[in-house]
Amino acid sequence: MINYLIAMATFGAIYAILALGLNVMWGMAGMVNLGIVGFYAFGAYVSALLTVNAHAPIALGFAAAMAGTAVMAALVTLGIARLRDDYLAIVTLGFAEVVRIVAENEIWLTRGTDGVSGIPQPLKSTLGSDFNLAYLLFCLIILAIVLFMLERVRKSPFGRVLRGIREDAHVVAFAGKDVLRFKVKAFALGGALAGLAGALYAHYSSYIVPEIYVPLLTIYIFLALTAGGIGNNWGAVLGAFVVVFFLESTRFLVGVIPWLSAEQLAALREFLIGLSLLLVLYFRPRGLIPEPLPRLLIR
Amino acid sequence: MFEKTLQLALNGLMAGAVLAVPAIGLTMIYAVLRFVNFSVAAHMAVGAFAGYLLNTSLGLPAWIAILGAFVGAGAVGIGSDHLALRPLRSQSALTLAIASIAVNIMIESTIRFFFGGSPRDYAIPLRRDWHFGFLHVGPQQVENFLIASVAMALLFLFLALTMTGKAMRAVADNPMLADSKGIDPDRMARLAIGLGMGLAGIGGMLVGLDTSIDPLVGFRAILSVFAAAVVGGLGSIPGAVVGGIAIGLSEELSLLLLPATYKSAVGFLAIVIILTLRPQGLLGARMA
Amino acid sequence: MSQRSLITRRTALLTGAGAIAAPLVISTAGFGQTGPIKLAGLVSLTGSGSPFGPNNRIAHQAVVDQVNAAGGLLGRKIEYLAEDDQTNAEAGVRAARKLIDVDKVQAILSVWASAVGSAVLPLCWENKVMLLGISAADTLAELPHQGYFVRTQPHTVLQAKEFARFILANNAKSVYLIMPQTPFTESVFKTIREGVEPKGVKVASAIIDNKKTSFRSEIDEMVRANPDIFMMGGYVAENIVMAKDLFRANFKGKVMGFAYGVVPAFIDGAGKEAAEGIYSIADPSPAFDSSAYTKLKALVKKDQLDTFMCQAYDHANLAILSMAKGKDATGTSIRDNIRKIANNDAGVKVDNALDGLKLIAEGKEIKYSGASGPCKFADNGNIIEVAFRTAQVKDGKIVQIKA
Repeated sequence: MINYLIAMATFGAIYAILALGLNVMWGMAGMVNLGIVGFYAFGAYVSALLTVNAHAPIALGFAAAMAGTAVMAALVTLGIARLRDDYLAIVTLGFAEVVRIVAENEIWLTRGTDGVSGIPQPLKSTLGSDFNLAYLLFCLIILAIVLFMLERVRKSPFGRVLRGIREDAHVVAFAGKDVLRFKVKAFALGGALAGLAGALYAHYSSYIVPEIYVPLLTIYIFLALTAGGIGNNWGAVLGAFVVVFFLESTRFLVGVIPWLSAEQLAALREFLIGLSLLLVLYFRPRGLIPEPLPRLLIR
Repeated sequence: MFEKTLQLALNGLMAGAVLAVPAIGLTMIYAVLRFVNFSVAAHMAVGAFAGYLLNTSLGLPAWIAILGAFVGAGAVGIGSDHLALRPLRSQSALTLAIASIAVNIMIESTIRFFFGGSPRDYAIPLRRDWHFGFLHVGPQQVENFLIASVAMALLFLFLALTMTGKAMRAVADNPMLADSKGIDPDRMARLAIGLGMGLAGIGGMLVGLDTSIDPLVGFRAILSVFAAAVVGGLGSIPGAVVGGIAIGLSEELSLLLLPATYKSAVGFLAIVIILTLRPQGLLGARMA
Repeated sequence: MSQRSLITRRTALLTGAGAIAAPLVISTAGFGQTGPIKLAGLVSLTGSGSPFGPNNRIAHQAVVDQVNAAGGLLGRKIEYLAEDDQTNAEAGVRAARKLIDVDKVQAILSVWASAVGSAVLPLCWENKVMLLGISAADTLAELPHQGYFVRTQPHTVLQAKEFARFILANNAKSVYLIMPQTPFTESVFKTIREGVEPKGVKVASAIIDNKKTSFRSEIDEMVRANPDIFMMGGYVAENIVMAKDLFRANFKGKVMGFAYGVVPAFIDGAGKEAAEGIYSIADPSPAFDSSAYTKLKALVKKDQLDTFMCQAYDHANLAILSMAKGKDATGTSIRDNIRKIANNDAGVKVDNALDGLKLIAEGKEIKYSGASGPCKFADNGNIIEVAFRTAQVKDGKIVQIKA
């Protein structure tokens, strides 16, 4: 049982980092990204393929995942930066689907629907059965570092400009800031985090397959962010753990509600996710932990 | 090569007409309610399953069952909008779009809960293709084309000739002016949703008639439906028709260059190209 | 201590031991191991494998019930759990994680789809859980599984050779192969090519996305190539779609498919007309005249059994008998002892768990011979010795033929 809880907490930490990435893109720079799962997948594949095919050291895999996803995110931004919200939503959604289709079909590169198995897990042989706990600690440490960094960014001039862009890009442009440049940087940063989360997942579960990277996963992260508070980093983390806990706990309903099949339970779980998202939008459009106002305004 | 191209173009025309139907639904809802309603995907599935029930349980032939698809999807659309989206009407278009995603998930998972995820077929006979020289086309494809055309024609007549239709066009064109003329915005909204989702339901059933249905029947098509609406110009109904045909043709003709598995990427590419070169779409007039 | 009381105590002890040992058929040697022995079936209750999963579970449960009724294994009850892998690697991995981490099972039985097998096998060998499977992809046997893997289904290279044989036997000049993507797709194409191209047969191939609901364009492309034989190499779901598209396109050539894709569920889905005449190739024939087959029919009360149900039955028996042989209810014990009870031709022939357990308790060597075949395993886990049969769909029924 304890192993199961450790696994849940590890997923929580990974999703938290992913949610933080989305938070930079959307919460801080105001660009909704319905395709965040595509960045997550990209980072996972970069690291997995480097370490499995080229036998690169895991650290290099992680670095490449972050760098590669950041670059890809920057490129994507150039294409979408001027789109308004609903178009942005459609395009980013489409982007993630294309990433998945490419992963499924370029078998020579990604092994297609067979997935990449045997992804090396750091220090697995030394740690043996302690691996799971060690990896959880690893993820939590990384999460803490990311959180600390992002809080610094949020309070920095860069962060303030991003918030300005989110509220009204025209004003910021008028003030002489190169809006596009800021958006690209923000997306790249968010992308790097999503890629990091992807690599963390790949080296944890040792198996990735395109099937994992479906829009529903994006919705989980959206739910985490909207529940936790858009723009708020701590909220993103809290939201991610709440969502994971909720998802995993419903698995145990199988025993409690025996007359429902596994498929029906999965459907029920999805229904509740949709409902939760809707309810969060009603009651707390700012989420559980709303964005902290700059000190100047709270006097 | 010429023969293959012509065959693909024929397939594309058939597919495009079917695609145009839910695209019109999406664009109509956008025109009146001003947000992209992602739950069109789930409503396509609702229509497909409503028609399926009428066809398999009551033995109704497909062209009658499709009315059930229209009514069923339209009703669910009005209901889901009333319960889930109306309370958020005052919020931003993005919030509504996200809320519509949530609604999409809820409707789709409900269908999966009751029907499971495995594909189901309508109770229609399997028929061989008709051959005309080197071209061949399936009888079902032709029927779908006809049904789609009739549905679109009826819609155009409704919008052009009836008072209600004209009122709706007025709201889409200039909501404040329409309101001041006494047109009830709520009623128009309900009408737009009912018609729009009803059309989506027809689209879902048409797709299913030629292949099979499962809860994801709408989701698989959604990127192409978006592409059709966006390429034609979000908010423009004739645009959705043009966009549907354009996307249908592009997807089929892309088979000359790409493997079949990349078909849905074509829709995405089309969206990106149009938004870069002509954001208001081919027939769209209003602001991008 | 007086003489009398010693004798009395010793007698009491001996009588007690005898009282305990006598009614038991199995030797009680589980030092410090208590609680039920856990075996799990990872079966496909939904998805492409769903025609077979429920029956596999029934076979497992029947064996476990049988053994428990006779006193259990190593003095302990066997607890059987089943999880649905949804014929999907990701779901399969999650289910396997739960079975291994939470339920602590010692063996996972009857994994069917190769994609699931590939994903789950590393989990098993890392946790010293034995995987007895059906998954046929060649790559599985080549993984460093340290012996924690055997399978009763002939691996796909053997199956592909059967297809090559059928192509040559039918004097085809050209063939077109279509398969969904699986861990064995490339190796099947390669093996068929190697078998027929030297004899002058033209081979074209394509891989499809098996989640699509229409293969009109792919079938069109195939018909344009005008092959003598078309290989409809998918699972049931995509075969149904392909068969319908073939019918619509009025394809006149022969159609052949893997036996697991040309089953009654396929005929139901595609309809009699579309399924008519399709050949089922490389069906590992259950050992119809074996006593194990007969016993299984009686045990589950069915007249006809498919090869997978027979394999599932054999998996359960093999796992239980190996544990008994090793006097230890662990995955490692199964790994170390399975060939001792399956490959040992010199042993007493046994076709079910109860007889085997009794003989093992008496210290005898046994040779388990199963309902799916002789059940002998190579070191890498592949099955040695298998007989194939060919069948064809005729008027809605699958009829065995000589081809």
